[in-house]
Amino acid sequence: MKYDAVIVGSGPAGSVTARFAAEAGAKVLIVERRAEVGVPVLCGEGISQKVDRFKVLEGKRWIATKMEGARIFSPNGTKITLSAEYAGNETGYVVYRDIFDQELARGAVQKGAEIMLNTCAINLLKKDGKIKGITARHFDETFEIEADVVVGADGVESRIGKWAGIQTTLKPYDLETCVQYTLTNIEWDSPYCDFFIGKHVAPGGYVWVFPKGNNTANIGIGLLASLSEPGKAAQFLDKFIAARPELKKGQPLRVITGADPVAEPIQSVKDNLLLVGDAARQVDPITGGGLMNSIEAGKYAGETIGKAVEKQRFDTQILTEYETHWKKSFGKKLHRNYVAKEIMLDMEDKTLDMLADSLKDYKFEEFSTLSIIKALVTKHPSLLVKLAPLMKLARA
Amino acid sequence: MVKPKAFVKKEKCLACGGCISVCPQDAILMILSKAVVNDEQCNSCSICVKTCPIGAIGWEGN
Repeated sequence: MKYDAVIVGSGPAGSVTARFAAEAGAKVLIVERRAEVGVPVLCGEGISQKVDRFKVLEGKRWIATKMEGARIFSPNGTKITLSAEYAGNETGYVVYRDIFDQELARGAVQKGAEIMLNTCAINLLKKDGKIKGITARHFDETFEIEADVVVGADGVESRIGKWAGIQTTLKPYDLETCVQYTLTNIEWDSPYCDFFIGKHVAPGGYVWVFPKGNNTANIGIGLLASLSEPGKAAQFLDKFIAARPELKKGQPLRVITGADPVAEPIQSVKDNLLLVGDAARQVDPITGGGLMNSIEAGKYAGETIGKAVEKQRFDTQILTEYETHWKKSFGKKLHRNYVAKEIMLDMEDKTLDMLADSLKDYKFEEFSTLSIIKALVTKHPSLLVKLAPLMKLARA
Repeated sequence: MVKPKAFVKKEKCLACGGCISVCPQDAILMILSKAVVNDEQCNSCSICVKTCPIGAIGWEGN
């Protein structure tokens, strides 16, 4: 078997890379170790409405609800509201990730990509020190898949990068460890996505409630792994739910765990190998959101592969265009929010309450973490010393 | 005395891969949607045990 590109992983990063590469004329194969694209879901299922601009999803089957905005609750319950009304009506969606992923994969197939399920990449295929594809296993059959470009879209636990010598092991302070229930029969009729912060709620992370309609919502928690103990995320989430009458009667439709990299951006190109999505740590270190970045980076990766195939050149120089493109577009934002994450981790609950109090009537004009940082600096010139590096980064 | 090795309780594991992403020894693999520890590589550092959000990783022999 010989392909222009073999893509490991059929999540959004893999499928969108495949789509744009195939559209540019490349012969593309996606290998997926699981038996169904998008299943099991490992995600809070929130995404910015910016996804519409990429035109990679048809219809509306993948949408559970459109958010009216977001609310952040400080440790003492003070509420900050980011409302669609002031944010140019662009907020986000809560999605069904299984349908979402399958729609993205279907889009890739329509452009000519192939998919192989139940197939696990077990190593890189190398000849004379050069990457020539992957070795894969399909049940008890092991075989080689030759390709000019190898793409690791293999998620938080990425091994593709490691095999190529890219250091992808996460430090525990760069990982959010997560649990989420999809609860039904709750009395949570808010159309907002809610975030709860504080040391007693979620050390180094937050609890989220993302409504999916019909008295159903995703209720999840992420804790910084460096502050975690065995099973602590699940215990804190159960405590959160038990303390709220509107959630307490909820019955679970699904329980999932998750691992979310909240790290600095890493090297994403080595020779003729690319990393995309969570594998490349393309996740916002403040929100833990990575869907939008994966789709954007996947587009750039696919387009770059298309050019490489057209020129029949598969060297670092031509493929680095992908890395330059995504780092220029959102790499600085990730770095800035990484610094912001570290500053926030140092804050006491009292400080968070004070900051929230000062923003409780603020009308945010944009649905982003940057708009919150900007508002904080406007309201608290005294915080400037701490936040100065952020402002410099915000301007960059 | 030999330190016990990390051990994944298969019936609890929900396959999020968090343990794999933080293992400094690269000692954990996902096999048929369950994390599995390679005893020979595990150095008993306990990072995966603490990271698991649902407490699905303990120590061998316990």
